[in-house]
Amino acid sequence: MSALTFTVKQETAQRVDMSPLVCQLLKDMNLADIAAIELQNGKRKIRADELFEITGSDTQNIVIKNSFAKLDFIAKGLQDGNVTVVGEAGAYLALGMKSGMVTVNGNVGLYAACEMKKGLLTIRGNAGDFLGAALPGNKQGMKGGTVLVKGNVGQRAGDHMRRGTMLIEGNAGDYCGSRMIAGTIAVMGYTGRFLGYAMQRGTLLLWQQPTLSATFNDCGSHTLAFLPILFKSFARLDSKFAQKSEAFSRVQRYGGDMAEKGRAEVLVRLDRRAAQSNTAFSAVNFH
Amino acid sequence: MLIKLTGGTVYDPASGIDGKVQTLYVQDGKFIKQPASDVKIDKEYDLKGKVVMSGAIDMHTHIGGGKGNIARMLIPEDHRKDPVHRSDITRSGCGHAMPSTFTTGYRYAEMGYTAGFEPAILPINARQAHMEMADIPILDKGGYVMLGSDDYLLRMLTAKKDQKAINDYVAWTMNAAKAIGVKVVNPGGINAFKFNQRQLDLDEKNTHYQVTPREILQVLATAVKEIGVKHPLHVHGCNLGVPGNVETTLDTMQGIGGLPMHLTHIQFHSYGTEGDFKFSSGGAAIAESINKHKNITADVGQILFGQTITASGDNMRQHANHGFANPNKWVCMDIECDAGCGVVPFKYRDQNFVNALQWAIGLEIFLLVDDPWRIFLTTDHPNGAPFTTYPHLIRLLMDKSFRNDMLATIHPEAQKMTTLASIDREYSLQEIAILTRAGAAKLVGLEDRGSLAEGAWADITVYTEDADREKMFEKPDYVFKDGELVVVDGKVVHTKWGTTHIVRPDWDTSVEKDLQKYFDRFMTMKVGNFKISDDEITEDGRGSLTVHSLNGGT
Repeated sequence: MSALTFTVKQETAQRVDMSPLVCQLLKDMNLADIAAIELQNGKRKIRADELFEITGSDTQNIVIKNSFAKLDFIAKGLQDGNVTVVGEAGAYLALGMKSGMVTVNGNVGLYAACEMKKGLLTIRGNAGDFLGAALPGNKQGMKGGTVLVKGNVGQRAGDHMRRGTMLIEGNAGDYCGSRMIAGTIAVMGYTGRFLGYAMQRGTLLLWQQPTLSATFNDCGSHTLAFLPILFKSFARLDSKFAQKSEAFSRVQRYGGDMAEKGRAEVLVRLDRRAAQSNTAFSAVNFH
Repeated sequence: MLIKLTGGTVYDPASGIDGKVQTLYVQDGKFIKQPASDVKIDKEYDLKGKVVMSGAIDMHTHIGGGKGNIARMLIPEDHRKDPVHRSDITRSGCGHAMPSTFTTGYRYAEMGYTAGFEPAILPINARQAHMEMADIPILDKGGYVMLGSDDYLLRMLTAKKDQKAINDYVAWTMNAAKAIGVKVVNPGGINAFKFNQRQLDLDEKNTHYQVTPREILQVLATAVKEIGVKHPLHVHGCNLGVPGNVETTLDTMQGIGGLPMHLTHIQFHSYGTEGDFKFSSGGAAIAESINKHKNITADVGQILFGQTITASGDNMRQHANHGFANPNKWVCMDIECDAGCGVVPFKYRDQNFVNALQWAIGLEIFLLVDDPWRIFLTTDHPNGAPFTTYPHLIRLLMDKSFRNDMLATIHPEAQKMTTLASIDREYSLQEIAILTRAGAAKLVGLEDRGSLAEGAWADITVYTEDADREKMFEKPDYVFKDGELVVVDGKVVHTKWGTTHIVRPDWDTSVEKDLQKYFDRFMTMKVGNFKISDDEITEDGRGSLTVHSLNGGT
């Protein structure tokens, strides 16, 4: 069986709600049924086959080709199966995803992995603000699973994050890990201002020295035995995080945010520490 | 436009009609006598076998004012679950616990309600409350202005100003805020909270002003009576939700000394301290006291299980209850040093002992108060439950076996602590019509509403008789507002704008001298801006004011 493939015929001026085109909802549907699904497109509704050329038959393997930045809610609540996006994805990618795998080749918009519960989300480009965050007004963001971003991420990555792992090979914007309840965010690149703002628990694992606010206390340097185990758990990922050369166990530990519960930690790699990185850095918001 | 409503079974307690087959005539929005046989009927509705009542009136529902917007902001997850799409005649919005203004109007109308009264208009926020209610379609509205924790009144009491001066201040404020009644919330307690008091009993002094809640109730109830306002002082008493508060509530009824007083959401004020969990029902004692004191009226504030949000001016009690917030987020704030506000989301659960007993206590009060003219059907929307649960509540009151089935499902310890199972009373259709129509209109002081008699405004609800009262009341066949058909088969088919009901008691203009000084010194706005002019309600062309008369012919 070949993957069910949606190839964009022509980009639309208005945004598209892609939530009906997700593996579990398409199960046992034939191509004609799928073609007739109505998608919200701005104020109006369009048929799926108006926007896409649809081929293939395996509804548990979905590929979206020529994807563009206005396709919102791709893989919303995905329960199982694979979704591959060739091109860009819009906002709310993998919103509330429960299981399975989502891979995007290009950049993605706001609120990717929002309230994600389980599974693996790989973004080869950049991600927008509020990666793995909670919906506005909600109290808990990402609750499990793994998010891997090869590019940079915007502001507020991991806002209200509850559990799970967020791996960022590039830079992170301001307020990375803000209001985090628990979980792990690892950033290889630079981080912006207000790192871990109002963070309660959880771990920020950094390759570069951040600018920390006064409410984080220096707890000295440590060799932590759990770090090699953590790195080993990344071994099967297609990522720099899987490379042995990137692993370390010696860190400077900072505790905070003392303006909140103060039980969170920021771990900064100590060997080969870049001396020049001590200045505030703000990731470029590419949207 | 002359409309004939033929052969419906009419329940109109205001005219003493209890289930009589009758034909009604409506011309230009009002009921008229049967016209001469040669007059042309423009439209006839065949209502044979249908139940006809006037439009229902919710005399206590939080539908306007700042706390509603805070509630909306606080629970976006509740709104996401209930989006409301626009149609050709209705606007989009959202629903459930604290619906958007437009959805509020549509959903009330779709249940046969044609008026709702906001019980907690802070004088300083009155403009916003009226503007917000101006966006509620179909319904008539009005509000009770909140006094009792405002510094100006407390200063007057400390300075031992005479009753006449207080009467003038109350009347002036009612005019300025465009109110139809006066409400007091946790008398003096909202103010005492700011002086670090975390509870205030009926005879406990505000540490700063040295004034007790009892004094505040006494002067305000007297003021309301003396300036001739028909709606009695609307009281949200002390110690809301505190086990043992039944004593305070009984004392409040007793202590007012025969002055007219309305006790609101009395279910929250009827708790004892007996039993293993030190929480018990005071429902029977409260009902007995209401039966005895003819000057007292009450609405119940029934809780029903499920997610809702509590929004109250009583920041003292809301602060005390914030630990129960579900989802865990809450707001307590001061409002311009004039009053307070607390918003706490709640999920009432039938397997929670306290919630289950609260449910039973509310029903006990409904069923044990003998006089349906002195008890009113409310859930204190949205505090006990959203108003959309009213049909379910009506079924609980009208159907004993359904009620007992529900009782059997709640927390077993709560079942043991209530006498509900032994109460046989079932409300009749006529009694429901009193609670929700005629009684409410009379209590609020509406002259030509809540009645199907000649000369009254034609707010009409038509139901199909159904043994399942919930089904019957949630989907009326027709709803007319001011003689215009607005709902067919439980769906809005036409929208219009209701009026704002107010009273205009007299006051001595000299009060403004001192108020001017006070406003200039302490308040965020000038006296001139504080007063809402008639134009502000009417100038957009869709709002209007209806002024009701006062007692004593003034």
